[in-house]
Formats: sequence, structure tokens, C-alpha cells
Amino acid sequence: MITFENVTKVYQKDWVALQDITFFIEKGEFVFINGPTGAGKSTLLKLIYKEEEPTKGTIKVLDENLRFLKKKHIPRLRRKIGVIFQDFKLLQDRTLEENVAFSLEVTGTSPRDSRKKMMEILTYLRLSHKKFSYPYQLSGGEQQKVAIARALVRDPYILLADEPTGNLDVGSSQDIIDILLDINYKGTTVLMATHDLKLAKKVKKRMLRIENNKLFSDK
Amino acid sequence: MALRIGIREGFRTITRNNSLFFLSLLVTSISLFLVSLFALVTVNLYHFLSILDEKIEIIAFMDESADSEALKSNILKINGVKDVIFVSSDQALKNLQEELKETEEVLMVFEDNPLPASLRIKLEAKSRTAKGLEEISSKIMLLRGIKETIYGGELVDQLKKITHVITVFDIGLLVIIIFSVIFVIFQTIKLTIFARSTEIEIMKLVGASNSFIAIPFTFEGIVQGILGGSIAFILTIITNRVAISFFSNVYFPQWWFLLGNLMCGFIFGIIGSSIALRKFLQ
Ligand SMILES: Nc1ncnc2c1ncn2[C@@H]1O[C@H](COP(=O)(O)OP(=O)(O)O)[C@@H](O)[C@H]1O
Ligand SMILES: [Mg+2]
Repeated sequence: MITFENVTKVYQKDWVALQDITFFIEKGEFVFINGPTGAGKSTLLKLIYKEEEPTKGTIKVLDENLRFLKKKHIPRLRRKIGVIFQDFKLLQDRTLEENVAFSLEVTGTSPRDSRKKMMEILTYLRLSHKKFSYPYQLSGGEQQKVAIARALVRDPYILLADEPTGNLDVGSSQDIIDILLDINYKGTTVLMATHDLKLAKKVKKRMLRIENNKLFSDK
Repeated sequence: MALRIGIREGFRTITRNNSLFFLSLLVTSISLFLVSLFALVTVNLYHFLSILDEKIEIIAFMDESADSEALKSNILKINGVKDVIFVSSDQALKNLQEELKETEEVLMVFEDNPLPASLRIKLEAKSRTAKGLEEISSKIMLLRGIKETIYGGELVDQLKKITHVITVFDIGLLVIIIFSVIFVIFQTIKLTIFARSTEIEIMKLVGASNSFIAIPFTFEGIVQGILGGSIAFILTIITNRVAISFFSNVYFPQWWFLLGNLMCGFIFGIIGSSIALRKFLQ
């Protein structure tokens, strides 16, 4: 489902973010990307949804070699991948419902199908009663759930989470991890980047550890 | 579908993000008004100059016995003459009376009409120079029956010089205005980009195509440009009203101004939004 072959990413001025990374992730896996700040975790995720391009090496996502994916077809790739972040990235001037609907409109889903899908996801995440709230009226944990809902309404094959619990208290963090595990249980491949080794170890899943911009261990 | 959503999104930003929308609308309106004001002044200046220019003529006084019709046709043959108007001595007196508006007194002073009959000679544009006047007038002087000619001479060249200077200043001012308008609008666009970067980032993240992202922005740009153009037009009308109270006669081809303002607004809107978008959608 995701293949990295000898991938190196150098930002401008010889600034190496990732060096000679090789791994393979199968459909339905749950994988932690762990390592200290600056190790290159976010860069690795950005390479998967083609926000960045590798300097060297080959990346394949969903049977597609990203090197040959034309710029104008990037939206097509992103519609199959959900991404959530530490800072949620919600539109502040839209309600919860509008934030989620937004990601369906982009793909041209009919309003009827959108509503149905949204109801289903909001019920699953227990957010239905807050659908008219604005982001600033929600707790951090709830905002992250909205971001998850926005990713999930499109039934993504892959869910990428970049430090999703970085801004949350312990309780909300656990909530979010439980949700990610459940989504994975239902068949979505999940990659979660975190600098928190303890948290990653507690959940017994595969872990790619990056240190000094290199793949240090994979177990 | 995408267009419908695009327009809805455009309206959303206009209604929700309104402080920034009104700021850029203000900037657009003022910029367009400046251009419009400049056009109003320029148009009037040249209108005034062209009226003066058309007033350039030669007046030829005739002997009492002269045959006006024959003279007229001979003068019309001279290169550079556009038209010849015969003014009889009676007509000349009437004109004078009208100018003085004191009919009784003039009539009382003169027992006889002392004014000679004359020919007013209108010139083609190319001959309205000191040199042209001199040449034509010397040719007229050669004709039998002409007593004397009078014309502006040096004054004419003065007028041309002034026109030249005004043109140079005018173009200089236009360049300055255009550069400041572009600069100010560009700064406003930068501000808009900054305010919208998260929104566009999220749109791209969830897989919006470039055109999907572009439609609401372009729509907003066009609305803003056309609104700005309308406001600038209204301000120009007001300025024109004020100017009329000072100068009584202001040349203001309003339909052209309306069209010009709307067109400029539309073009500013489209160009502005594409510049803003290009930064994101390379
Ligand atoms: N857009 C960028 N331009 C230049 N350097 C970058 C950019 N993004 C990240 N980096 C650098 O690449 C390295 C890895 O960053 P990142 O992938 O964000 O690490 P992590 O997410 O593990 O903290 C860091 O040294 C960071 O400064
Ligand atoms: Mg990071």
C-alpha cells in the first residue's frame, strides 16, 4: 500500500530531512512513526500525500509511483488519503457541519449523499449534537474529532495523523488513539507520527523509529 | 455544481470575512476614483484646449466696394483654409451691440455705421500655427479688395507650447498614479493571501482541484472590482457636480466614464485575483 525505496529528502541548502529510508506498509496496518523533534516525521508524511517530493528514491502509494503522478492529478491522490494534524486545521468561520461537508463538496458529492454520509460519521464520533458549533466553541479533543470526521467522510484508504495528540490532555489523547485504532480495525491503513515514545510503546503496534533522519528501527 | 459552490463560497467570504473585503473594496474604489478623476481633469483640459484651438482664425477687413462672394471663393482656394464666413457691417454692429449690451448708447454715439464688413477665415488644424497664419494671411493680403488682416500670431504658438507642457505633465502624472495604484492594490492582495492561506491549504489538503479553489476567489475579485468601479463612478459624479458649481461648464461624458470605471474594476478584479492565486497554485 505504501512503499519507500531508498528515499532521501534534502531541503534547500543541503539540509537533509530524511536519508535513505526504505520500508513497506501493507493494507490495513497501523504504524507509528516515532522519533525526536526534527527527525523528519512530518516530512515523511508529506511525501506520502505529495506535499513534498523526494530528492532521491522511489515512493509508491496505492499502487501508484508518485514520481509519475502529474501535478494536476494530486487532488485525485488526496481524495483517497485523510490527513489530520496537531493544530486541527479547521476553518474558524464555519460550523462543525460545514467544516466536514467542505471536504465532500470538493469532490462533487451530491448534497443528499453528503448529508447521509455526514450523519453516519458524526454519529459514529458522537458529535451530532454539536454540529452547529464553531471550532472555538469546542474542546481540543472535539476539534480533533471534527478533523477526523472531515477525513473519514470520504472513506479514505489511508489515514495520516501528524502528532494528533500533541495539543491534547491525556484523556482526550486516549480518546483520539482509541478512535484511530477503531478506524484501523475497520480496515483503513493508519500512520501516526508522534515524538512520544511512551505513548507509542503502550499501544502494541508496528513502530518505525527515525533518529538522525535515518530509519533506526522497524518493529 | 463546482460553479454553484464556487459562487456560494465567494459570497460567503464577502459576507463573513467582511472587514478585509471592505478594506480591499475601499482600496479598489479609491484607486479607481483616482484614475477616474485624472481622466476627468485630462478630458476637460484637452476639451478646453481644443475649443481655444478652434477659435484660431484670421479676420480680413474688406474695402467697401469689394465683392464678398468672389473674395470668399478665392480665399477658400487657399491651402489650409477650412471655411469663410461673411460678416456684413450691419452684422458686425449687431455683434458689437450684443457684446456691449448697451444698444441705445452705441446707436446714439454713431450716426453712421463705422464698422467695415469682414470675412472670418476658419483654418484647418494643420495651419493653426503662427507660421501657418502668417502664410495664409499674406496670401489673403495679395487679393484685391482686402484692406487689412488680423490674427493671433504669437499667442497661437504660446497656446501650442502650453499644450505641450500640459501633455508632458499629464503623462508623468498618469505614470505616477498607475504605479501607486498597482503598488497599493498589490499590497492589499498580499494581505488577502495571508488571511486566506489556511483556507487554501485546507482546500488543497482535502483534494480540491485548482479550478475549484480559483472560482470563489475570482468571483470575489470580480464582484469587488465592479463594486469598486461603481463607487468610483459615483464619486466622480459628485466631483463633477462640485466642479460645475465652480467652473459652470464641465465636460463629462458620463456613459464613457461609467463604462471605463466598470471595465477597469473588472480587469483589476480578474488580474488581482489571478496574481493572488498564482502564488498558491503554481
Ligand atoms: N519546508 C521546509 N524547508 C526547509 N527545511 C524544512 C522544511 N520542513 C522541515 N524542514 C527541516 O527538516 C527537518 C525535519 O523536519 P520535520 O519533518 O518537520 O521533523 P519532525 O516532524 O520529525 O519534527 C527539520 O530539521 C526541519 O527543520
Ligand atoms: Mg512534525
